[in-house]
Amino acid sequence: MPDSIESAVKTFILNEFLPGEDPAELTMQTPLITGAILDSIATMKLVLFLEETWGIRLEAHEASPDNLDTIALIAGLVHSKQA
Amino acid sequence: MKAEAKVQIGLRSTVRRPPDGSINLKRYLLIVGQLALLTLLLRQFQIESAAFLRLALLAFAGFAIHAVLPLRYRLPFFLALSLASIVLVMNLGNALWIIGIGLVLIGICHLPVAFVWRTAFLGGAAVALVALRAKWVDGPMSDAIWPILGSMFMFRLIVYLYDLRHDSSPASPVRTLSYFFMLPNACFPLFPVVDSKAFRRNYFDDDAFAIYQVGIEWMLRGVLHLLLYRYIYYHLTLAPSEVTGPESLVQYLVANFLLYLRVSGLFHLIVGMMHLFGFRLSETHHKYLLASSFSDFWRRINIYWKDFMQKVFYYPAVFRLKSLGMAWSLVIATLWVFLLTWALHAYQWFWLRGTLLFVPQDVLFWAILGVLVVINGLIELRFGRKRRLAGRTESWRAVTIRALKTYATFWFICILWSFWTAESLTDWTSLWTALGGKYTAGALVIPGIVLAVVVLGSIEHTAVRNTKASNQSVENRWMSAAGTVAAMVLLIAVSRETVNLQFGPEFATTVTSLRSGRLSRLDNAKLERGYYENLLSVDRFNSQLWEVYSKKPANWLDVQGAGLKRFTGDFAQTELIPNFVANTNFGVVSINRWGMRDQDYEQVPPPGSIRIAVLGASSVMGWGVGDGETFEALLEGQFNDERTAASPARFEILNCGVPGYQPLQQLVAADKALRFRPNALFYIATGREVTRASDYLAEVVRKEVRIPYEPLAAIVARAGLTKDMDEATALKHLGPYRGELLAWTYGRIVETVRASGAVPVFVFLPQVRGGSWQEETPETLTIARAAGFTVIDLSDIYEGQDIETIRLAEWDDHPNAKGHRLVADRLFAAITTHAVIPLIASRHETGVR
Repeated sequence: MPDSIESAVKTFILNEFLPGEDPAELTMQTPLITGAILDSIATMKLVLFLEETWGIRLEAHEASPDNLDTIALIAGLVHSKQA
Repeated sequence: MKAEAKVQIGLRSTVRRPPDGSINLKRYLLIVGQLALLTLLLRQFQIESAAFLRLALLAFAGFAIHAVLPLRYRLPFFLALSLASIVLVMNLGNALWIIGIGLVLIGICHLPVAFVWRTAFLGGAAVALVALRAKWVDGPMSDAIWPILGSMFMFRLIVYLYDLRHDSSPASPVRTLSYFFMLPNACFPLFPVVDSKAFRRNYFDDDAFAIYQVGIEWMLRGVLHLLLYRYIYYHLTLAPSEVTGPESLVQYLVANFLLYLRVSGLFHLIVGMMHLFGFRLSETHHKYLLASSFSDFWRRINIYWKDFMQKVFYYPAVFRLKSLGMAWSLVIATLWVFLLTWALHAYQWFWLRGTLLFVPQDVLFWAILGVLVVINGLIELRFGRKRRLAGRTESWRAVTIRALKTYATFWFICILWSFWTAESLTDWTSLWTALGGKYTAGALVIPGIVLAVVVLGSIEHTAVRNTKASNQSVENRWMSAAGTVAAMVLLIAVSRETVNLQFGPEFATTVTSLRSGRLSRLDNAKLERGYYENLLSVDRFNSQLWEVYSKKPANWLDVQGAGLKRFTGDFAQTELIPNFVANTNFGVVSINRWGMRDQDYEQVPPPGSIRIAVLGASSVMGWGVGDGETFEALLEGQFNDERTAASPARFEILNCGVPGYQPLQQLVAADKALRFRPNALFYIATGREVTRASDYLAEVVRKEVRIPYEPLAAIVARAGLTKDMDEATALKHLGPYRGELLAWTYGRIVETVRASGAVPVFVFLPQVRGGSWQEETPETLTIARAAGFTVIDLSDIYEGQDIETIRLAEWDDHPNAKGHRLVADRLFAAITTHAVIPLIASRHETGVR
């Protein structure tokens, strides 16, 4: 259910970090870490959210733009962890 | 390279060709044209160094080929260019050492043994390199390689090893070598900590033209930062002793912080240049003057450093501490990061300078900033932080609140920065006595300018950063290119004298000052103090001087350590040791039985001779040249070679120069010299006489050296100097008496010389350096003339000369043998045409002593 992961992550980011912003502006490719939306605190909040919601465990080296810079990448990471 | 075949924009989806690094001819020519303009700009303003201009030419010419190569050949080509740049900048021998040591280090990372063993071997290699860098053991390589080798490997190796540990798909050898030896690094000891994954991830991941254009824009931005830095460095920086009131205090604080523009300028240049080869790296700095909190400041300034610390140290700590809860893990991990930042700062200093760095301000600065960031972090954790996705209108209330927070953060950072960069804690605390000075309207000018910048900057609040440039509209991208071209053309035009003179001489003079990179008057003063007093405080990145000193060999002119001088216990404190002989890299240094660097003379002049005593400091004594190569010795030879039947007198010129002697010490030297019954006494002044006179008086008071001259003791009493005063405060107290102090000194020398029947001659001989940092020269010459000296002004002696060929080294602006020859020739010409000789001869003939 990739769409549900993407939309859940998007909803979480919008509610938690971007309240009041236009959801249409947050695309699957919006740079979250390199775009300075996710700082270290927000990244950790997101990591906890991913771990709790999908019952996965992330390692420190995975908290990087390679895995978390876009909603698409985040969804891909969750998928790979669930596989 | 990661291709992106489908890009979703909001709810819309468009199919876009994956970036393949291609560029059409029109755009290619536009980029090449802009690079030609940029080359001209770098040349016109002499950005950084001649070596950088050569490197930029190599890079830009390399771009012209790189951009049209098939994609698969581009990375190897970039690697070849990078290696060539090391040879170009460092010369072949040094380049081979850098590349060789680098290959060994990289090779260890890839040994076919367990990771723990590779780490251990790297640790062993590091110990060996530390021993070589610290000179515990002598190596065959030049000291010049260390700053660059250090900047290439000291942090990148940590990141690389970290990624190697966790990455199942390591990079290719070509990419790895490109990462470590990346092109612009050979010119820059301070280099952003480029992340190895970002280096891979962002390679040609966008339209090539868009990447190149951003690169040019960032390089232009870097040049602008560096020009602004130069203006501040040359014209606005103040010494702590010059901070006498609120206006100068504000100027000191702001100028001191804004010196950081040099780092942000260089980093923009570096990362901009990387863009030309397809590396779409992110910003290294993001409007750091507009930070609205301490966390925000940490996130905006040197972003690559923050990312490096976050990746390698912060996240591993936070993940390990997750069970303690977010707040506690954040607090502990953040403090851990700041502790390591301090330690790594010292580690960096070691590789760049070869010495240990441990100063209390450094520890306290990082500790205070760490605590402030923790507090900010806890607030953000509790209440969140406002983020925005796109530019939309904000309420005036929101803008006002952010502007106020930004303004407060700016001033707090300025204060904290002044603390960090202060030479000592007492220096820093003495700054604040300026608050008791006179309050003028001028004190509001800089705060007003800062407020205007902050308010304007707060209105246009950036949304998402580092988005791909190709996502912008075509019109925006062309407008951006047009703006860049216009800015470069404007700057090049302004740099031309025919243009800048149209705006008045003051503007033209300012632009001219910005057109070359050199040390400021304060750093030149520090450089001089370095070899005069060994009091050099270049112990952090608080002055541009550290870069100059990073090139200085550890054993540079080590004759001083061999005991050239000894303590005397009198007002002069030191003198040359009689009968001392040493072999130096620059020849033999011999001191005669009278404590002069000269041949052996009798105390009483031979009958019929004309004797001249020359007073001065290291330039007179002949710092860095062998016996017989000093201008004094050459001048003596010239006079005696020119003897004629009509003027048969033999000349004896006595070298009474002592390295490090300040004007007040020449009082003692003059008394000694007059015991040799000269017909003339030449006082050689090399600059900053007014300042150095007061520096020395403050020093003797601090050291409780007895002052045998009543007028000097009276000045000390009137200025209220005490031995417990820190240097900056003492100099502030002496400020009103500086001119009087030098006037009395010169007057006293003239008086005693005349009383002995000799002719007092004053020669102004500047240090060998480009530029015109002789701001005290007119005042000094006026005082010398008023005192009764016959004045010979050689302040233009080095104009039109290639400075590099007549001075000892970049870090030592004494004349070399060729420089001494030049001085001797000019002095000979000046003396023979100046009526000095007839004056001396007349005294000689009448037997006046």
